[in-house]
Amino acid sequence: MEHTKYLVVGSSHAALEAVTAIRMHDAEGSLTLLTRDPYLPYSPTVLPYVVSGRSAATGIFLRDEKFFVDNRVQLKRGTELKALHAERNSAELADGSEIAYEKLLLATGAAPAIPPIPGIDQVSYHVLRTLDDAKKLHAAIKQSKQAVVLGAGLVGMHAAENLVKAGANVTIVEMAKQLTDGYFDQVAAQMIEKAFTDNGARILTGSRVVKLAPSAIGSALTLENGTTLEADLLLVATGIKPNMDYLDQAGSAVEHDQGILVSDTMQTSVANVWAAGDCAQAKGFFTEAKVMNAILPDATEQGRIAGMAMAGDPGLKHYPGGVPLNTYHFFGRHAISVGSSKLADGAEVLTRFDDASGRYLKAIFKDGRLLGIFGVNEFFDGGVMCQLILRRVDLSAVKERFVANPLAVGRELMSQLWR
Amino acid sequence: MGRSYNTIAFDAAKCDGCGDCMTACATAKTGSEDQTRSRIQIVGSADDGFELALCRQCGDPKCVTVCPAAALTKSTESGVIEWDAAKCVDCLLCTIGCAYASIALDAGTGHVAKCDTCDGAPACVPACPHDALTYITTARIYNEVGDWEDLFAPGLAGCQGCNTELLMRHTLRRVGPDTVLATPPGCVPGMGSVGFNGTTGTKIPVFHPLLTNTAAMLAGIKRQYKRVGREVNALAIAGDGGASDVGFQSLSGAAERNEQILFMVVDNEGYMNTGMQRSSCTPYGAWTSTTPIGKGSDGMPAQGKTQDAKNLPLIMVNHRCEYVATASTAYMEDLYDKLDKAIEASKVGFAYLHVYSPCTTGWRFPTDQNIEVARKAVETNFVMLWEYTPGAGLQFTRPVDDPLPVTEYLKAMGRFRHLSPDQISHIQGKVVENLAFVKQMVHQARA
Amino acid sequence: MTTATVETPNQTKPAKQKVILCEGNEAAALGVALARPDMVAVYPITPQSSLVEHVAKLIADGRMDADIVDAEGEHSVLSVLQGAALAGARTYTATCGPGLAFMFEPYFRTSGMRLPIVMSIVTRDGITPQSVWGGHQDAMTVREVGWVQVYCETVQEVLDTTIMAFKIAEHHDVMLPVNVCLDGNYLSYGTSRVELPDQAEVDAFMGVKDVNWHVALDPLRPMAVDPLTGGSGGKGPSTFVRYRKGQCRGMQNSLRVIEEVHEEWAQRFGRRFAPLVEEYRLDGADYAIMTLGSMTGAAKDAIDEAREAGKRVGLIKIKTFSPFPVEALLKAMNKIQALGVVDRSVGFRWNCGPMYQEMMGALYRLGRHVPSMSFIGGLAGADITVGHFHRVIEATEKLVTNPAPAEPVWLNERD
Repeated sequence: MEHTKYLVVGSSHAALEAVTAIRMHDAEGSLTLLTRDPYLPYSPTVLPYVVSGRSAATGIFLRDEKFFVDNRVQLKRGTELKALHAERNSAELADGSEIAYEKLLLATGAAPAIPPIPGIDQVSYHVLRTLDDAKKLHAAIKQSKQAVVLGAGLVGMHAAENLVKAGANVTIVEMAKQLTDGYFDQVAAQMIEKAFTDNGARILTGSRVVKLAPSAIGSALTLENGTTLEADLLLVATGIKPNMDYLDQAGSAVEHDQGILVSDTMQTSVANVWAAGDCAQAKGFFTEAKVMNAILPDATEQGRIAGMAMAGDPGLKHYPGGVPLNTYHFFGRHAISVGSSKLADGAEVLTRFDDASGRYLKAIFKDGRLLGIFGVNEFFDGGVMCQLILRRVDLSAVKERFVANPLAVGRELMSQLWR
Repeated sequence: MGRSYNTIAFDAAKCDGCGDCMTACATAKTGSEDQTRSRIQIVGSADDGFELALCRQCGDPKCVTVCPAAALTKSTESGVIEWDAAKCVDCLLCTIGCAYASIALDAGTGHVAKCDTCDGAPACVPACPHDALTYITTARIYNEVGDWEDLFAPGLAGCQGCNTELLMRHTLRRVGPDTVLATPPGCVPGMGSVGFNGTTGTKIPVFHPLLTNTAAMLAGIKRQYKRVGREVNALAIAGDGGASDVGFQSLSGAAERNEQILFMVVDNEGYMNTGMQRSSCTPYGAWTSTTPIGKGSDGMPAQGKTQDAKNLPLIMVNHRCEYVATASTAYMEDLYDKLDKAIEASKVGFAYLHVYSPCTTGWRFPTDQNIEVARKAVETNFVMLWEYTPGAGLQFTRPVDDPLPVTEYLKAMGRFRHLSPDQISHIQGKVVENLAFVKQMVHQARA
Repeated sequence: MTTATVETPNQTKPAKQKVILCEGNEAAALGVALARPDMVAVYPITPQSSLVEHVAKLIADGRMDADIVDAEGEHSVLSVLQGAALAGARTYTATCGPGLAFMFEPYFRTSGMRLPIVMSIVTRDGITPQSVWGGHQDAMTVREVGWVQVYCETVQEVLDTTIMAFKIAEHHDVMLPVNVCLDGNYLSYGTSRVELPDQAEVDAFMGVKDVNWHVALDPLRPMAVDPLTGGSGGKGPSTFVRYRKGQCRGMQNSLRVIEEVHEEWAQRFGRRFAPLVEEYRLDGADYAIMTLGSMTGAAKDAIDEAREAGKRVGLIKIKTFSPFPVEALLKAMNKIQALGVVDRSVGFRWNCGPMYQEMMGALYRLGRHVPSMSFIGGLAGADITVGHFHRVIEATEKLVTNPAPAEPVWLNERD
């Protein structure tokens, strides 16, 4: 049986950061990286830009072959983890072979969550999680006249914008009452919605598809309220679910809930196995409960912590908990969200909105500490804001100034506190 | 050796918030004078003091790791984090990754922008009217040196924090493998550079001359290679005792004959290898094991060395060598410049490099204070950094405009701890006198 | 090369040898020129000075292609040559007296590093009393540190031996420095007829130069020369022993090589010198006197006269003093019943001449008692005349029947 000291499954941000962290501390230990993708590593986050054509499909790779050679990493592409036999420190692959590991990182990411709509298996639809998905969607967009996007999360919204710009009639169907629910508040969502409708898109929030069937141009959708839609291109972007089927295949003891449950050092419930990134369920910053926080910055942080823990790096610091962080670019505008949008007891919300410039800012404080800050067309340093939240900096004295100019005041605080 | 890079350094104490650096940056990078578009941002106020937000070109850059589009990369050549406009998708995730407000949206372009050091000639630095910004290029040396082989074996048995080991490793890297190295008895072979019992600590030809004949043996080697038409460097790394005392005759003879050798004296101001005895380079007042402290007799306490140090480099100037210079490991850039010049000079004649080398063991200071002690020596003018060539005469290479009192240097180490006020004023007086003497020579050179 | 090859030429004496008239110092310089060293280093000292002047002039005139280093003292002279030898050079210098004393620190090291440097000692008495005249005290004082030392009798022998010295020193079984000793005043300034060997013939005799095959300071063959060696046990001291034994083996090997080289010289150039020990009129002798260096000429005259007078006396001359040629000496000693040894220097520890003291050591191996006595003469430039040697012969003759005196005889004491 093949043996490796470190086995990393997955090849996106969490996996790559783990590799770097392992090699910082252990330059020699054998390291194998396994990915089901046939490609070099890329980020799912960049795929909407491959769809739009902004990013060349050949120019998005996060590492080249040389990186793996230089870091003495055995890269196995196009190979999927089928079953984990944690009790004997072995990973069974799709081809039936096994790799014995000393330390395993599960950074297997997530896959599109397909809603159980009656008839969905009768129609052809697109999803967007892999580079192949993106290539297919990129080709299809050019042909589309009439498209429907299920789900108004960031993936769906990106694709819808691309379809709009390509000249299609686009309808966005979202179960929630607003767009980008969970990312941006209602005010921001309305600004986003307006940008879409101004550009000709049709937005159906609070709507649920109850039936899907093939039609002459592609598929026919029936909504809960009886409305019917036809689409020559149907994109299902209703969310993601972690890839962790391999845990159940062999009845592995690794505890999992929505995702793989991990400690503050990204260790799973069994020895020698860690998890990080979109497949992991780790503690949140605002709650001790374990939450899914499938965002890119968290994936890098978790991957780094997991790698350090696996290599026994004494510099390891515990995971502070996930802070939601998102940026979104739409029709030449941008939205940034840092921190929690949930209104805790005693929270204070300061907002400002300038109709003329379209600038919107909302900041949530509790006990003078920043919990979250959200802006549309209002640039501030998200990284600085995140530090203010993580460090629980008391902003009582500067709160008003801060809301008036978060960019300048944030930088002042940064220069005083940690630069 | 890991790479290190040039950097833009900021001295907050000098900044008055005038914003000229921001104007210069905006002009250079955007063609406008809009300071909000500058990639260097001065923040703060006259009351609280000014600070800056500027890309630190992190070694482990979060902006790079959170970029989904591979648009940010850290150059291993320059150390600059480079932004690729063609790959960037304007997602702004980098601005969330960076905790230092160093990559931000440029409203004028709709893209992020960050400092790229203007390809090594940052526009902000010369624009600062108060010298609050400096572009520190010291790293050049370490990067160059990092690519050269360390020609000493690892694990030489020097004392912890040994300045001499630092110096000799740097020196030999620079001089290179086509070299014959002479290391007369002292710390250099004492730590194993020539080796013990059939082993060696050096990857090039190396030998133990006598304490007395280093320059003469090297001269013979160099001459024979010249005779057979081979380019071989002849390098001595010798202690001050072997050069200024018992080895002085052969040193002087070789200098007078203008032998084509590079003679480096590692001046730790005594016979440190044999137990810290006095040499003629030991300064006045210093404790050594042969100028100890005691109550003396007839009411005359023994208070360290009672004579001033011999100024060997000035004596070498009077040999009219091809090149003579003093140097210090606290000023590596200066040292490397002089090493380069000395190597060139040694191709036509005698080159002499006198490097002040604090000795943690013999001078009695903590092992991590080596460079600090070396720096204090220069900042107080106890040691002066200059160079001499027959053409240009003697010139300061790092003049000290506003020297610290010599006590700042003396108090940094134990060998001067016993000094009486009279002794201190004697030493301060000698510093002033030596400075005046060298200045006179500089003045003559300019005349 | 492990043994010197001795060719047997068709003619015993080459026709093309120029004859000149010159002093011993010039003869030495001419010998050096013929041996083609790469480097000579010089520092003047009486009575050596004219030797290095001749060398300098030969180079200045283009008759000799060597680098000359006018060093600032004898210490550096030998040091420069050590460096050059480590870089592959054939090297030469000359000194004497206080210069040799000043040189002693690198002098001691030369044999340890096995550097085949050739150095003439134009012998001079030791100071103090301050003196600038001849005597063997300088060379005798440094006899114990691993240099091969040979003493010449005539100006011609100075020239020939100087050339042979390079070949002996560089022989791979030897690899040791060689002193060619010529008596200050008597040989240095003594002018004589000299046959000058042909350069091409000398070149053929010398063969290929290969002086740093065993130890080098060369970036193409990096090595550490002379790391610290020793300690209280283990590899260090045993390595040190290996080096020391090697030096001693080289010294002993040199006895054979000196003989081979002298034989080859005789074959090529037709001049035969006793390489180690010369026996003069020893056959039929009951007793003998022993000499060293230029005094031998007068001694031989005295022997001839004594033989004429019916005395059964012969002469043993030492040419190779270091290593001491015990076997060759015993062969000569076997023929006699008593021996008088004439030294040109003083052995302070034993109250006799140094060569006498060495001879006594060899005599122990003879297995029978040979009465002997020590004569000391020729100090500080003093002449040892035929008359002095007659006194030596008379005193030695008495040893056959009378007990030997405890005190040495100081020949010039009442001159």
